[in-house]
Amino acid sequence: MLPACVGLVPFGVVCGVGAAAAGADWLAALGMSVLIFSGAAQILAAQLYAGGAPFAIIVLTCFVLGLRFLMYSAAMAPHLRTLSPAWQRSLAFLLTDQAFAVVVRRFDASSDPRDGASYFLGTGVALWGTWQATNMAGFLAGNLIPAWLSLDFAVPLCFLALMAPLMRSGPNLAAAVVAGSAVLLLQALPMRLNLVVAGVLGIAAGTLAEAARERWKAR
Amino acid sequence: MEGALKLWAVILAVGALNYASRLSFIAFFARRAMPPLLARALRFVPAAMLTALVVPMVVAHRGTTDFADPRVPAALVAAGVAFFTRSTLWTLVAGMAALWALQALAP
Repeated sequence: MLPACVGLVPFGVVCGVGAAAAGADWLAALGMSVLIFSGAAQILAAQLYAGGAPFAIIVLTCFVLGLRFLMYSAAMAPHLRTLSPAWQRSLAFLLTDQAFAVVVRRFDASSDPRDGASYFLGTGVALWGTWQATNMAGFLAGNLIPAWLSLDFAVPLCFLALMAPLMRSGPNLAAAVVAGSAVLLLQALPMRLNLVVAGVLGIAAGTLAEAARERWKAR
Repeated sequence: MEGALKLWAVILAVGALNYASRLSFIAFFARRAMPPLLARALRFVPAAMLTALVVPMVVAHRGTTDFADPRVPAALVAAGVAFFTRSTLWTLVAGMAALWALQALAP
């Protein structure tokens, strides 16, 4: 769990800087890191808010981005089925990209769901604490960082760190190429709707590419 | 709706939707299997949505598409480092160093 926390530090700081750049006060910055608790959604919400996007568009775009949590939730559900509702609700709150990556291996390795659940809780709380501390540090430091450092470039770099390793898979590559092309070609759409539309087109392209590959292999 | 009130409305709505998504199959649909097509489609959400976010920040960060921006080669360097190391820290180091070097060379 320690490497996962260390890996989260730069992303958390960048999110805090992003909240400061969007004009959030310290309480709203804290609200974002505590309640949204997802770096990609926090940065996206802060940028769309700063750009004057309407409420419904911000929420819709963040919702599409957060659809991956459905996938994590479905993958975790069989392991958590025997736990009490209080445990399930607590662990669901701590279900992030990083926690999922670390915890799913523990559940697969252990036959006792309580062992996996305790590990999930410990990891999740450690990640949550790291996230709050680094977000606040970034928020407080945000206004002190000189513009010539171009630190806003750290935002796409954090996303690249999550995205580029996925490109080992052909269908993921297809999803990325279609989404990346569409988001540029559709820039004329109002209210940054190009993000959602490109995301949905990319998801469709990945799904079709995988189905086509399976059909090809089955022949 | 403007200013701090709008920001808090966004925080509460996005926070609630994120939590509902995280809770979905653990609590609400615990007795149901995910439809296979949905399960397959959801696996492409990270690749598609993260790319849709990254590309404009790199290629069109001033508002108009500009493939000659020094951020483009810097992002390609960072993507290569991310692909091989899978490390956020090394991706940041490589990408920022590449951008600073390019900005120093051609101001």
